[in-house]
Amino acid sequence: MRLRLPDVVRTTTFRWTLAVSGAFAACILLMFGFVYWRTQSYMTASIDRLITEVANVVSAPDAASTARRLADHLKTDPRHVKLGGLFDQDGHRIAGNMESPPANLLPDAVPRFVTVFRVDGPQREEDIARAVARRLPDGSMLVMGHDADELEQFSRIVEDALLLGLVPALCLGLAAGALLSLRAQRRIGEVNRRVQRIVAGDLRERLPAHGTSDPFDELARLVNRMLDDIEALVRSLKGVGDDIAHDLRTPLTRVRIALERGREKAGNLDELRAAADQAIAGLDQSLSIVTALLRIAEIEHSRRLAGFGDVQLAELVREVGELYEPIAEDKDIDFAIDAGGDATVRGDRDLLFEAIANLVDNAVKFTPQGGRVELSMRRVGDEAVVRVGDTGPGIATDERELVGRRFYRAEKSRSHPGLGLGLSLVTAIVKLHGFRFTVSSGPGCVVEITTHQ
Amino acid sequence: MPRVLLIEDDRETANEIVAELESRGFDVDWAASGIEGLDRARADEADAMVVDRMLPGIDGLTIIEVVRKEQVTAPVLVLSALGAVDDRVRGLRAGGDDYLTKPFALVELVARIEALLRRPTESRDTTLRVGPLELDLLERTALRGERQIELLPREFRLLEYMMRRKDQLLTRAMLFEEVWNYKFVPRSNLVDVHMGRLRRKIDRPNEQPMIHNVRGEGFVLRAPPPA
Repeated sequence: MRLRLPDVVRTTTFRWTLAVSGAFAACILLMFGFVYWRTQSYMTASIDRLITEVANVVSAPDAASTARRLADHLKTDPRHVKLGGLFDQDGHRIAGNMESPPANLLPDAVPRFVTVFRVDGPQREEDIARAVARRLPDGSMLVMGHDADELEQFSRIVEDALLLGLVPALCLGLAAGALLSLRAQRRIGEVNRRVQRIVAGDLRERLPAHGTSDPFDELARLVNRMLDDIEALVRSLKGVGDDIAHDLRTPLTRVRIALERGREKAGNLDELRAAADQAIAGLDQSLSIVTALLRIAEIEHSRRLAGFGDVQLAELVREVGELYEPIAEDKDIDFAIDAGGDATVRGDRDLLFEAIANLVDNAVKFTPQGGRVELSMRRVGDEAVVRVGDTGPGIATDERELVGRRFYRAEKSRSHPGLGLGLSLVTAIVKLHGFRFTVSSGPGCVVEITTHQ
Repeated sequence: MPRVLLIEDDRETANEIVAELESRGFDVDWAASGIEGLDRARADEADAMVVDRMLPGIDGLTIIEVVRKEQVTAPVLVLSALGAVDDRVRGLRAGGDDYLTKPFALVELVARIEALLRRPTESRDTTLRVGPLELDLLERTALRGERQIELLPREFRLLEYMMRRKDQLLTRAMLFEEVWNYKFVPRSNLVDVHMGRLRRKIDRPNEQPMIHNVRGEGFVLRAPPPA
């Protein structure tokens, strides 16, 4: 996607820059206008004061002395700015360098701008000037003036300065705006392209980040971290989906076979019932897989700690022991329960019971006849440790990390019926409580839940 | 004939439930929508109600809350496809008496309705009697005829629960929920093993059996037929 100029002009960044440049220019104009106005009026006032002063000095009761003084005054004029004229009642020039009295100048009024003709130069010359007029006692009129060229020059300087300052500033502003919006547009274009790829399903795509600390980069990094999490989640979800598909297919296939055989082969009601029972058992197993998965998901995603309260751990352990003791006995397993000292932890009693029961259930399941299962709770400093040890086949070192995963079944346990979900349930419950869960080996398998106070 | 009001929007599920309940001697009134169900529930003619949690138009729990406010006291069994613990708590808090997660066995449903209909009245008797069996709740002792039976605390609670519900089918899940107070069953034969032990203490080989295992369904405590 190449950006052409019209595209840039249409971007918000550019429009903002344009607006800001406009406002900036208006401010400069205002400032220059103010300076111009103030300086102009200051200079005009000085000229006015000067010519009024001169008029006072030059004025004399009779025309002759006035003419003399006027000539004296006009004699020294290196900057060629002094104007003056003495006119009789009819307006004929008596002395000075002005051709005639300015038309709109009233005697004894305030100074004003007038147009005069100089006659002391090589040729007649029109001039804009500031002038004031005095009526002398003999009826003649004295006009004193000062060239207004200075004022004009000054306004030209202001105009030049304005042009020199304003035009480059405006150009710079527009260029910066165009550049910024081009850059932003490029990055956003790049981000858009990548996001579209992500939306299209390519979860490995990431936003461009340049390792700088500008806010855009920080945002990109944050979004990338989020994408990492989402990717990991989707992957694990997919993995779980595959596992569910596999683990549900097994019992469902059995159901199908049982029903099919029942329909084809069953000769009497009892045989049909047996087939139906087999099918129901398969369905129950499928349902318990779904239920267990939902429970794990529920526990993993529940941020709620509403069910939390003080749990007497020793009592809980004894209850689990009591629940499993007959089963162990039936299997001729030596079941030792040791829950001496007490520890109170904050937690969800039902969930903790479920976790410990799952561990004991596993231990009893995998321990062969005549073996031993130990369930204990002891305090170690501030922590309480619930430990379940057995004399079963144990879990190989390289498999210990994996047993907490959904559907994972250690190699040696494949011959036992089970959902492969027990330990991931335990892991989820332990995580929810902020406890620790470790798997190690004693004679068989040793699992420990370590609480914190 | 006990009347049961069933509020369930899924026709197939409803048909199965109605057929099963009628075959067990219930008079079933089926409402297929929440609005209709609410109207019939308000009429307060049912002895028990079975209410699906998720209904089009109105939430099953809302129905229960509304009729409870209107002093309808018939026990309610909530059905739900949501098995979450939270949800169960919410269902019971809304005024439901029991909660069953879909999918369920019809036997389980019937057993629970029976249990709701025949809820034991809180009697002040300190001794429970079923046939030759006698349970002293104060002394914590059990007798079958002249024979003293030694019971562990949990076995005592199990027997007490069964004696209060004699002649009723009690499913494993019901027993686990009520006697052990836990909502999950790590494996289905846990209750069987405990029941087996209790049974060996109650029914000696030379005695008429009182605890009966109903295959695939649950357990029943019955007084032996008079000899």
